[in-house]
Amino acid sequence: MDVSGPSGSGKTTLLRTLARLMPGATGSLAVDGQRADTLAPQRWRALVALLPQKPAILPGDLRTNLVLPWRLKVERDVAEPGSEALLSALDEVGLGGLPLDRDATRLSVGQQARVALLRVVLTGPRVLLLDEPDAALDPESSSALAQALVRIAATGTAIVRVRHRESDGLAARRLVLTQGGRLTEAGP
Amino acid sequence: MSDPAGVIAIGWPQLLLATGFMVVTGGITLALQLGVTKALWLGTLRTYLQLLALGLVLGWVFRLRQPLLVLAIIGVMTAVAAQTVVRRAPDAPRGSYVRAWAAMGLPALVITFAVTGLIVRVEPWYLPRYVIPIAGMVIGNSMNGVALALERTFADMDARENEILALTALGASPWEAARESVRTALRAGMIPSINTLSTVGIVFIPGMMAGQVLAGADPLVAAPYQIVVMLMVATADVLGSTLVVLLTFRRRFTPDGVFLEKGWRPHAR
Repeated sequence: MDVSGPSGSGKTTLLRTLARLMPGATGSLAVDGQRADTLAPQRWRALVALLPQKPAILPGDLRTNLVLPWRLKVERDVAEPGSEALLSALDEVGLGGLPLDRDATRLSVGQQARVALLRVVLTGPRVLLLDEPDAALDPESSSALAQALVRIAATGTAIVRVRHRESDGLAARRLVLTQGGRLTEAGP
Repeated sequence: MSDPAGVIAIGWPQLLLATGFMVVTGGITLALQLGVTKALWLGTLRTYLQLLALGLVLGWVFRLRQPLLVLAIIGVMTAVAAQTVVRRAPDAPRGSYVRAWAAMGLPALVITFAVTGLIVRVEPWYLPRYVIPIAGMVIGNSMNGVALALERTFADMDARENEILALTALGASPWEAARESVRTALRAGMIPSINTLSTVGIVFIPGMMAGQVLAGADPLVAAPYQIVVMLMVATADVLGSTLVVLLTFRRRFTPDGVFLEKGWRPHAR
């Protein structure tokens, strides 16, 4: 699903609310019939994973950054990937050939964006929330990302994307927000 | 003038002579139009009043020898120190004052009475002549480190806002998301007292040892005292900084573990 709308219309707020990352939000959320208020917030965020607009690459190598989610205490449905799985995952987002001991902070902005995406995807969330994932990418990286998203969606993960660019034909549905956060259009 | 203990007392004429320094300093600031002359005079006046009042109060407390009074004085000293600490960390969340008080007061009490009871072995345990100056040194000297740690924690968390959001979105708890900021801040708070430990006696003669030597004590009697003081101040600094940061960082998050970015925070402290 793609979400679009002018600046300030609440696209990021919508994603943060879905990830239970919005202080003061009210209402109820559920994923696969499981209500948000029956789960610890950390566990909910592992299931409904937000990738913020600015990728946060921590000091350290590529491997440290990719397995970071497994260094946190929260329970995961997916086991920590080994080196082989990491390398093939990197290949799938167009980062094949990068060694796992490469200093992640020295990667380009586009590469960092894909590492941050991969880090979230590897944890196997049920819903993936992407805040302008291709805003900082060149057309080539952007299409590599789109292909990766098609593969992720094929595994049954729901994807909600905030997007400014023209439709790339991937989204099954489209939400349009207007100033003030009202939903004006919803459709395929 | 010399009393039996070898202290040369300073009388009013000598005190006025020392004030002459301030006349010179005031003259310079006036000539250069630095705009601090009034503050300088006010500061000098306050030094006179506060230290003479301290002398009177201490003399009174020393004569009374009331344990509760001694504890109350330590409480007031910590309260004023906590206020200074929180004022220097304007970004710290509401409720930090009480936490800073606890974070400084607890180590101050433990360290002061450990030193007076186990090391100096004063009798009775609350002997004001020992307990109050030692508590004052513990609290006063650890104040800078504690203030630095508190200020750095919240400044660093703001600087790492994106990282904290990304970590929280990955399922990190507030502690996991804030850990790097806490570590950075604690290191910053501890470095000054670690540096002091390695430069003391070479770059500067610390105040207490200088005071004891001026009061006629054998420098080799004064040195162990100063060692004890240095170690207890460093301990108070480390314990106070750690406690204040651990007691306050969680308040920058909602109960759901969301970091409160600027604009989402309650205004008044």
